[in-house]
Amino acid sequence: MTAVSDDGKRFKRSGRDRHATGNVPLRMRFGVIMRSMWQQSGGRFALIVMACWIAVSLLSLFWTPYPLLQTDGGHAWASPSAAHPLGTDGVGADVLSWLMAGSRTNLVIALLTMLVSAMIGLACTAVMVSGRRALASAGVVVVDALIAIPTVLLALLFAVPFGASIAVIVAACGMTYGLNMARIVKPSASLAARSAYVQAARAMGVSAWRVFFTHIVPSTFPVLAVQLSMSAGTSILAEAGLTYLGVGVPSGVPSWGHTLTTSVRLISVYPLTVLWPGLTVTLVVTALYLLGDAIRDCADPLANVELRKLAATVSRQTHNTGVDA
Amino acid sequence: MRYLIWRLIWFAVALLGLSLLVFAALRILPGDVASVMAGTNATPARVAAIRSRMGLDRSYPQQYADWLGGLLHGNMGVSAISGRTVASQIGSHAAITLPLIVLSLLVALSIGIPMGCQAALAGSPRVRSVLHTIAIVGGAVPALWGGLLLIMLFGRGVGLIGILPSQGFPDAGWHAPRAALISLILPAITTGLVAGAGIMRYTRACLISMEDSDTVAMAMACGMTRRQAMLRVGLRLSAAQLVSVAGLTFAQMITGVMVVESLFNLPGLGAMLINDVGNRDLIAVQSELFLLAAFFLLLGLLVDLMHHALDPRLGERTQHVGGEEHA
Amino acid sequence: MNRTDMKDAMAQDVDVATRPQLATSGEILRVRDLSVQIADKTVLDDVTLDIGASERVGLIGASGSGKSMLVKAITGLLPRAARVGGDITMGGTRLQAGDDAAFAALRGRYVGLVFQNPGAALNPVLSVEQQVCLPLRLHYDLDAGERRDRVMTMLERVGLPASLAGSYPHELSGGQQQRVGIATALITSPRLIIADEPTTALDAIVQRSIIDLLVSLVESAGASMLFITHDFAVLSRATTRCMVIDRGRIIETGDTAALLHDPRQPQTRLLVNAAKTLTLNVNPEHHHA
Repeated sequence: MTAVSDDGKRFKRSGRDRHATGNVPLRMRFGVIMRSMWQQSGGRFALIVMACWIAVSLLSLFWTPYPLLQTDGGHAWASPSAAHPLGTDGVGADVLSWLMAGSRTNLVIALLTMLVSAMIGLACTAVMVSGRRALASAGVVVVDALIAIPTVLLALLFAVPFGASIAVIVAACGMTYGLNMARIVKPSASLAARSAYVQAARAMGVSAWRVFFTHIVPSTFPVLAVQLSMSAGTSILAEAGLTYLGVGVPSGVPSWGHTLTTSVRLISVYPLTVLWPGLTVTLVVTALYLLGDAIRDCADPLANVELRKLAATVSRQTHNTGVDA
Repeated sequence: MRYLIWRLIWFAVALLGLSLLVFAALRILPGDVASVMAGTNATPARVAAIRSRMGLDRSYPQQYADWLGGLLHGNMGVSAISGRTVASQIGSHAAITLPLIVLSLLVALSIGIPMGCQAALAGSPRVRSVLHTIAIVGGAVPALWGGLLLIMLFGRGVGLIGILPSQGFPDAGWHAPRAALISLILPAITTGLVAGAGIMRYTRACLISMEDSDTVAMAMACGMTRRQAMLRVGLRLSAAQLVSVAGLTFAQMITGVMVVESLFNLPGLGAMLINDVGNRDLIAVQSELFLLAAFFLLLGLLVDLMHHALDPRLGERTQHVGGEEHA
Repeated sequence: MNRTDMKDAMAQDVDVATRPQLATSGEILRVRDLSVQIADKTVLDDVTLDIGASERVGLIGASGSGKSMLVKAITGLLPRAARVGGDITMGGTRLQAGDDAAFAALRGRYVGLVFQNPGAALNPVLSVEQQVCLPLRLHYDLDAGERRDRVMTMLERVGLPASLAGSYPHELSGGQQQRVGIATALITSPRLIIADEPTTALDAIVQRSIIDLLVSLVESAGASMLFITHDFAVLSRATTRCMVIDRGRIIETGDTAALLHDPRQPQTRLLVNAAKTLTLNVNPEHHHA
């Protein structure tokens, strides 16, 4: 299956990014991008939810309203009350405490999935834009072929030797999202690979790896960032599904999927309990999708005026110092 | 044509690689499958018997060759647990899962494409942004939770408007087609809605990216209204991309489908795989996973070929007919 | 009567049959106080212009001056977010901004557009024949044979061999693509042709032949034309009147020859000088002037 989210227009755009902001240090660009994201309603919502998620994950390492293993047999399936703000589950454990503790597991899964998919994605991209024609076209076709394999089949495959574990989720998600990422990043990467400055660097004898990481990867950054935040969101959905199927997070480890799974039983009798983990997942995944959209809008120098102004200022400064020296 | 041959060759290579991946992943199993399968208090003789019956006493290359040879002859082995052939096992479970996937995809496309068009083209900016929000939030709902909410709404006996069955598949199977179909409605809507939100997002994005394209402007210049031009030209030009998205959605929907099968208690492929993986039924898992993955590779191939057929620019090599322009 | 003239006469049938009311009006396009804002930025500011029957008007302006926006505003192709004020009257119809159906009824029938970059504008999934036929299909109820006849005649007039009728745009050269664009714009014999820098995307050698083709076809059809170009020679040869646009305002307008030889506004002087250097095959006298 060929490129999913890329049309010729974006292709051309990311090529021009380099010329517009290539001379601006990433650190300075980051500040401007964050500020313009904050000014959008979607971006602001995403940033707030992300901050809360990280804060709650850290907090849960030290404190939760109740210890996770403390159960109150007399108050199973309790409705929300002052003592249990979100109620209790089937064994009388506090739902809020489990959701808080689950947020750190999901954060770890999301971060690891982003890491693994970025590694796999960039490795495939490197092959697909490599100078050797045969290798490059073989890479394209292999990625096209393997991209169709569903996450759940890989998870089931890995679950046979390794059992249910976080590693299974990360490996399965990382592989499928990595392949998808490779295909979406490829147009801007190959544009950068053909550009004059890369040709010049190669001619000067800079090693292929160095060229890839210093010139090609930065040029794909806006597209890459969008894909990474999408991957993080999808990994949370996958965690819920895989955990429910018994090949995700092992039982006893808190996660949103785990809370969702434990509250599924007796849904007809106590529907309120299942509301919270589902809402949490929907909220966080929505925020991650919006984060991706906001990054796309704000990291694109053609769409973001602030970024262009910054580039203009920096180039004027470098120009001036050049003249002074 | 050249692309087709090239793609077919790599399809075969990918299949071979896939079989190696499946085989290897299942052999790095810590511990001995045969003894796990024989149970904790089995005699060494019984373990050895299982091992030799499953061919596990042979060398890995030999096991691989045996398995591959069997696959080529259509012999996928016999499940060590149920004693049925893997082929018949897959067949009976796929009879539930495949219709479910197809129904889900139908729901997803019939919701996603019109709503996506509306999200891009609706006259009022407020309607557009509400539809966009629906698409994003809808895609963020876990299938499990969405299914639960639908059961709470429509599930017979439990829901507020209990009109649809939410548990199990009729014993008569497809011999009672009406009952069978009805039992798949709620599960199909569950996965279809979630996947439909994704397709809606892509449809919207594709159309919006066409909005200021010269091709749409030219169609308007020929006499189409903006809406006509977007639907007849913009959507047509996005078709190749949308087919790719639909194909990927189809592939990834299987996760949601397995969850929903389990939630609605349908004995489909998901239940079979989970069961076999849980039992570490090596032979069955090996063939089942390979076959399913091969099915999705084939799907990917078809989607790729369709993508090429929909876009004449990708068809043959660009050639200038009629020679160079004369001054 | 040679063969081409006969075909011309046939193409005129369309007008006579369907547009009796248009023939009575000597005024082809009338624009009054047209203003356009996009995202709080004024791109057109109180533009007023008229184009009469068989009149050929040039429009020059620096990039970003609002030339293309003017074309889009006249034809109703502005982005949805644009806010439009003022009056546009075309073919006897007073057009309300945002009345897409009314604009669409005129586009491709009363006014034909030739785009700057045919490679991007031509629909990649339509064959040459289907593309050229599109305005006919949208506006006239002809049977398939008649449509085909008209398309083939048109292809011949723009100098495309009949063998290319089944080709797709990506199989054509840039010049051939623009010939398809011109054929599409002219197939319904519109009263007004708007050409927005129709040759900037083409090779220098091809440019001249395309412009000659376009001008001669418009001339022989007796249509009016609004021509955006920087080609000095084309302006002086093909247009009688010329307008200069700068930052969304028409700053100067007048007889082409006079305007090009003796520009009054400083911006016009800059543009005219730039146009002179860009123009191909300029007569040496023009440089000394």
